[in-house]
Amino acid sequence: MFAKDSGLLQGTVELLVLKTLSWGPMHGYGIASWIESATGDVLRVEEGSLYPALYRMARKGWITAEWGLSENNRRAKYYRLTAEGRKQFREQASGWQRLTAAVNQAIATRNAPSWAR
Amino acid sequence: MGEHRDRDYRVIPPKPRAEVDDELHFHLERRIQQNIANGMSPDEARRAAYERFGDVNDVRDECEQILVEERRAETRRNWFEDLSQDLRFAVRSAVRAPLFSLLAIATLALGVGANAAVFGVVKSVLLNPLPYPNAGRLIRIYTPFRNGNEPHGSLSAGTVSDVRERQHSFSSLGAFRGPRDVVYSGEVPQVLKATWAEPAFFRTLGVSLARGGGFRDEDGLHDTTTVVILSDGAWQRLFGGDPKVIGRVIRLNGLPRTVVGVLPRGFVAPEGAPDFYLPLGMPLFMHDPITVRGSHGFGFVGRLKPGVSQASAQHELATIGDQLERLYPKDNLGIGLAGVPLRDAMVGDTRTPLLILLASAALVLLIMCANLAGALLSRTISRRREFAVRVALGAGRSRLVRQLLTESVLLAVLGGVVGLVLAELGLGLLRGLALTALPSYANLSLDALAIAVMMLLSLIAGVAFGVGPALSVGRADPQQTLREQTRGTSESRRTRRARGVLVAGQIALCVSLLAAAGLLARSLWAMTTAPAGFTADGLLTFTVHLPSPRWTTEDQQSEFYDQFLAKLRALPGVTDAAVASALPMHVDNSNGLFIRTAPWAPNQPVPFILTNVVSEDYFHTLGVPLIEGRTFTTADRPTTGTVMVINKAMADRYWPNGGAVGAQVHIGPPNPTAPWITIVGIVGDVRNDPTSLRADPMMFLPTRQDMSGNQFIVRTARDPLAVAPAVHRLLKELDPTLPITDVATMTSVIGDRYAARRLPVVLMGGFGALALLLASVGVYAMFANMAASREHEFGVRAALGSTRANIAALVLRQGGFWMAIGLGVGAVGVIAAARSLRTQLFGVPEFDPLAIGASVLVLVLCAGVALLGPVRRASRVDPITVLR
Repeated sequence: MFAKDSGLLQGTVELLVLKTLSWGPMHGYGIASWIESATGDVLRVEEGSLYPALYRMARKGWITAEWGLSENNRRAKYYRLTAEGRKQFREQASGWQRLTAAVNQAIATRNAPSWAR
Repeated sequence: MGEHRDRDYRVIPPKPRAEVDDELHFHLERRIQQNIANGMSPDEARRAAYERFGDVNDVRDECEQILVEERRAETRRNWFEDLSQDLRFAVRSAVRAPLFSLLAIATLALGVGANAAVFGVVKSVLLNPLPYPNAGRLIRIYTPFRNGNEPHGSLSAGTVSDVRERQHSFSSLGAFRGPRDVVYSGEVPQVLKATWAEPAFFRTLGVSLARGGGFRDEDGLHDTTTVVILSDGAWQRLFGGDPKVIGRVIRLNGLPRTVVGVLPRGFVAPEGAPDFYLPLGMPLFMHDPITVRGSHGFGFVGRLKPGVSQASAQHELATIGDQLERLYPKDNLGIGLAGVPLRDAMVGDTRTPLLILLASAALVLLIMCANLAGALLSRTISRRREFAVRVALGAGRSRLVRQLLTESVLLAVLGGVVGLVLAELGLGLLRGLALTALPSYANLSLDALAIAVMMLLSLIAGVAFGVGPALSVGRADPQQTLREQTRGTSESRRTRRARGVLVAGQIALCVSLLAAAGLLARSLWAMTTAPAGFTADGLLTFTVHLPSPRWTTEDQQSEFYDQFLAKLRALPGVTDAAVASALPMHVDNSNGLFIRTAPWAPNQPVPFILTNVVSEDYFHTLGVPLIEGRTFTTADRPTTGTVMVINKAMADRYWPNGGAVGAQVHIGPPNPTAPWITIVGIVGDVRNDPTSLRADPMMFLPTRQDMSGNQFIVRTARDPLAVAPAVHRLLKELDPTLPITDVATMTSVIGDRYAARRLPVVLMGGFGALALLLASVGVYAMFANMAASREHEFGVRAALGSTRANIAALVLRQGGFWMAIGLGVGAVGVIAAARSLRTQLFGVPEFDPLAIGASVLVLVLCAGVALLGPVRRASRVDPITVLR
């Protein structure tokens, strides 16, 4: 799902992780599952590639990890947003929205350029 | 990355590999369960989960790598965070106890400063390489007297050429002569120094000229070769560093000389600091059969052949010396040959005083350490409660120890920096003081090595004395400490003893140092106050440089003396005037003595006797009494019989049964054809060697028969320097081209003779004062702390009926006890100090009771004064405030 050759930008994965964690702390499996279902299984390729992204985000200080117990009482590593991560999410989400809106507007327009007329 | 991480209870995290594995394993397990729940068979569910995950190994490796980097970065971050936290805390706690901090920094600064200054001196004299390439292979050759009188005898021309022919140890040898005064005719005539050197001299030292071709090998062989090499200093001073100086003609002693070379900056002569080098050719000295072996005065340096050891060269020289003594017994009897490493020859007599200074600086350092240890101990004890609270609140012990170490290092660095500033100031002072007392190549400065050594020293001191208290904090039980502190018990027996030992140690070190300084000072005092044998007060001395073109022949010079001395005597305020070849206490010319009626046996070495050539008014002007016979008169002329006056020491040694007056002698290189000299009088002794209280035998010849004086001595009724302008005017009237130099009072001339002796006394005195100060501060600080920490106890005692006197006595007794122990141990130190100073003491016994008694007294007084404060404080404790 998040492989380098899947055509997805690294930033997209990070934005989706930030979105997931904005609901609250969650482990890697939960994050992957939520993103898959939330994107209507469109991004369903190679769940393993989520983990390097998580580690890199932890390194950048956007999220922190802590071991805890999962819903079925197993030890699991939970990630949570830091203050910096929250800030990143706000900026990146609005950036993404502006970008996609602009791209959408461009590809949906019916106004042909002057040289095409 | 938690903002609320407690670093003191950091949980040790699992290894990165295991952590990643756990996490990935959890993911796969959950996916498999999910798949099974979705209706797959276990095998199928497993395969699907792995497929959906991708390459587990790749993911694991990537994650592990990121995690490892992250952990590393975190360790670094924590270390710096802890350090900056510790530093901030250290600065705060240093500021909170300003007295303690100032004391610690000042103590360190003084100790480090004193040591850095002395180290700077010792390093530049004893450790820095000599300014010659491969200087360790250079040997200075001397002809020591076998009776030990003159270890640094110079060579005769014959010995120089014999050594050159017989030796096999040296690849190159160079002789030199001088430095001597020469008159340089610039705009105004100046008296400068010149050394005559063989062309091989520069080759041997391995010095190549900065400019010009230098001497050619044949330059020394002819009297008519008139060339000169300039020192860098002379080049700068006289020619402003003019690059076109080569080929210019200058006049020395009235003769023209062509400049053929300039020595490089930093070149230092093996002896003296000449401005000019003139070519020297040994063959010229080989013609006169009397002076060839009888007249000494050549310095000789050699460079060892590769592979030849110093020891074997020294052995060879000794063998040649034995051969020459057998071959030429008349001249060489009692004289050997010896090679000394050039460095030792140049360091000369300063080695022992320098090592003594180094030792005293080390003692100051030890006192400093004791002081510092005491201060840190007190500070730690007074902070025990703070530490206990922090431990109780969960601070790790290692963290506390680290904190204390940071504080000590901070103080050490500050103290070290201030100390280096002090050292630089001290060296500035020393440069002025030591100029004449240290070898000329020594440039007193702190280089990178000295600075590094001193910073290391203060760091070691800081850390070493920070560790002790820090560890004791680590061991202490916080609960007990807190309980004790609220109950207010006295300090423990152990810390009290530790303080006492530190006080005793300081006292012991201090008394040794003070005794050493006292002994040296007493010795200098004995030297300078011992009767010199003449009245130095009221005498003015100066040098007029003869001969000159106008006063060349002996008759002309004699005429000059008569005219000038007569005019001098006529000056208002002048009562007497005389001329001599050397000033009293400065006679350095010796001649062999041969008594007509008692010739020396073949196995008896010829004695060398100090010789001065003086005018007939010399003894009267100085106030030297006549004991027997007569002194010189104007009737003693070149045409009349040659006469001599001797001093009492000489009469007593060679004519113990009387009969000296009227005896006939030959002096100098034995010349059988010369007329006998008749002794006409005996005068009182004048000390010549300032370090010896006994006068040496001395002979005097009249200037009217041996034209060689240029040292003038004028007795004045009042201030000697007041007549100096009149003297200048007189000479100008007589002959404006004659240079006059070294105008000074006799007392200051004699003072210069003690310069080398004064340096160690001043420095030791300084160290003694420093030690006294440090020890007093140490005693005060330690007992003040002791009294403060026992305040509660004293309060209880006072409440139970102890009088103030009782309590004061308690503190005094304790202070006195440790001081007594310190003095007891110090006795051993005093003995050691006196023993090591033995060779440096003159005119005082090794265990001079006055010096040692005075140093003990001064120390006890200072320590007593330092004790007063704590005693007062202890006796004023108010039981009500303390117990409430």
